[in-house]
Amino acid sequence: MANVFGIIAPAGTHVQVQGLQDYRPVSAFSFLGRYRMIDFPVSNFSNSNIERIHVYASQNPRSLAEHLGSGRTYNINSKRGKLQLLFNQDSTVNTIYNTDILAYTENLHIIERMHQPYVVITPANMIFKQDFGKLLQDHIDSGADITLLYHRVSNAKESFRNCFTVNLNRQKGVTSIENNECNASDKNIFMETYVMKKDLFVDLIRTANKVSSIFRLVDVINMENEELDIRGIAHKGYFAAVTDFKSFYDANMELLDYNIASELFTDEWPIYTRTTDSCPVRYACCSKVKNSMVANGCIIEGQVENSIVGRGVTIKKGAVVKNSIIMGHCVIEKDIILENQVVDKWAKIKNVKELKSTSDMPGYIKRNDVI
Amino acid sequence: MVEHKERGYVRMKQNSMLAMVLAGGRGSRLKDLTNKVAKPAVSFGGKYKIIDFPLSNCANSGIDVVGVLTQYESVLLNSYASAGRIWGLDSKDSGVFVLPPREKADTGLDVYRGTADAISQNIDFIDSYDPEYLLILSGDHIYKMNYYKMLQFHQENKADATIAVIGVPKKEASRFGIMNTYEDGRIYEFEEKPEHPKSNLASMGIYIFNWKALRKMLVADMKSKTSSHDFGKDIIPSMLADGKTLFAYKFKGYWKDVGTIDSLWEANMDLLDDNNDLDLSDDSWKIYTDDATEMPQYIGPNADVVNAYITQGCRIEGEVKNSVLFTGTEVHEKAKVNDTVLMNGAVVGKGAKVTRALICPNVKIADGAVVGSADSENILLVSKDVKKGDK
Repeated sequence: MANVFGIIAPAGTHVQVQGLQDYRPVSAFSFLGRYRMIDFPVSNFSNSNIERIHVYASQNPRSLAEHLGSGRTYNINSKRGKLQLLFNQDSTVNTIYNTDILAYTENLHIIERMHQPYVVITPANMIFKQDFGKLLQDHIDSGADITLLYHRVSNAKESFRNCFTVNLNRQKGVTSIENNECNASDKNIFMETYVMKKDLFVDLIRTANKVSSIFRLVDVINMENEELDIRGIAHKGYFAAVTDFKSFYDANMELLDYNIASELFTDEWPIYTRTTDSCPVRYACCSKVKNSMVANGCIIEGQVENSIVGRGVTIKKGAVVKNSIIMGHCVIEKDIILENQVVDKWAKIKNVKELKSTSDMPGYIKRNDVI
Repeated sequence: MVEHKERGYVRMKQNSMLAMVLAGGRGSRLKDLTNKVAKPAVSFGGKYKIIDFPLSNCANSGIDVVGVLTQYESVLLNSYASAGRIWGLDSKDSGVFVLPPREKADTGLDVYRGTADAISQNIDFIDSYDPEYLLILSGDHIYKMNYYKMLQFHQENKADATIAVIGVPKKEASRFGIMNTYEDGRIYEFEEKPEHPKSNLASMGIYIFNWKALRKMLVADMKSKTSSHDFGKDIIPSMLADGKTLFAYKFKGYWKDVGTIDSLWEANMDLLDDNNDLDLSDDSWKIYTDDATEMPQYIGPNADVVNAYITQGCRIEGEVKNSVLFTGTEVHEKAKVNDTVLMNGAVVGKGAKVTRALICPNVKIADGAVVGSADSENILLVSKDVKKGDK
């Protein structure tokens, strides 16, 4: 689409995933064995024919840059389209300064230079499918200044911590954006996806800078709520928000239900990712695998149940892996028992006999660790 | 490709050897499998196509320019092979060029009359790169080989031609083109399918020639009325008769010419042998292929997967034993798949039983249907949907 460009926003400071985030931004988290989180928003843009995309990265952008490459894997026209990584320097003085507005301000000249009159902004820490072309059309047809995407949930008490909620009037007008205080079950979770004119976006960035150095985009929109016509559109279908370690674990585990997974992964709306050219999975004579997703390149000799196994993982004979996420290139040695664990990439589990946690508080093994 | 004004030829990125892949054959012994696609485009090993092997070998050996000679049912093969990026052969001075027969100013449109003729008809293409050496490959063999090492061997021996050979069991030698050599590897005789073979060194159909000398021979061969325009039958024997220096390059490792349904099935089953020399998991010599946009394979709560080779996009709810499953296959609940190859998108319905079979792409085996049997002599090729009660 020639009249809109996409922004994949930097994760706000409200997104805190212990362990994993020490090594890479949320956007580069491995997801469901073969994807990274960023694949979902980029595929959404690509499938919506939005081929000019800005991706924000602050700390540890190496894995993100490597993964995105030239953007060719995402089916983006290599001449007309462009997948651009935009960097910003986070403040080391105090994390409260590290807002999305700071990142946009540092790259304001690039945003201003875009020819497209409209912008769609979407986060990298949420997993969903959305036709942004349709969303833009609905936005234009409604005559609103800003359109926000939300998802109606009935478990906001126990889930969606650190998310925002939108309050709506009867005409789907947004009256306010708040933090989810987990005080009621039924809430409209804000999917941190915005549609507006580029010029309005630039104005909001400028206004935010004038008002407060720690203003985020949600804050300035809240402030301008009286002046602007802001509307909400409800999203239907699979939706997961990764804001902490538990929600990351749950989002993966939920997709082990094939019916839920096949709603997210359809032929009409492909989710693209970078290939690593790994070979198919070798299941040995003694393997026993139940209800699991397994990425290519693995060698499975042991037992795997209700788990997600990333690329190139080896699970040796006699090992038992249950309710766990094993990320790429890990080795689980003979007879080791893992339950409710998230094992980060390239880790080797060989000395401990057994690692068991509860599904309420899954354990985490660091990247490259040998234990 | 852009011809350089002063040099008069197109630059190749790394070395002086250009490769030509013979990919025009039908492979008619593969029956229905090659009705619509040429043999090099037939799928193999879960996610690959056969032509991925020579093309990945080229990329891994540092050969940058590859011509692919196609003829039979080449629409799919042409579009696939021309995407050089799959094998990384898409930098400025590299590329994969698909070369079907074409009409030229001085000659009419003609099919390739033989392996040598296919090269002869593309002398202009090869000349445009001005290579010192020409590597001839088959597009339908499964193996991993470093052609650069073979080139070094060719150079060390100051050979006019080098032919890669593999030791085959003596009793099978009469099925192959056999090279008879002196101790140092120099070839003194070539025998096509000899009744009483003197050696067990079978030609792999991989040749390195010095381009300028070969070019002369090809020009002469084109004019010959008696020639069948074939490397094995015409070019190699005439070089030997002329007293040229031909060397046999001994290859050790996995090599398979999958000519029949049984041998294609067998080659797939070889992947279940942990000691197989092909070792597709070796990161230092990857075989590249077009990546499918599919989710990871899903193994269901009641599945039983034992001794299997399975790729992404598959959904397994039933039993899979001693089998190889290609991209996007489905095995539904209570189905039993044994000693079988399920090609791309094949579906085995609930309670169906498939044994010792090769199921063609997108074929559906209906719920409860029974296909193949454990004591069959040959592998059953299934190219059409099977309903319950069908034979």
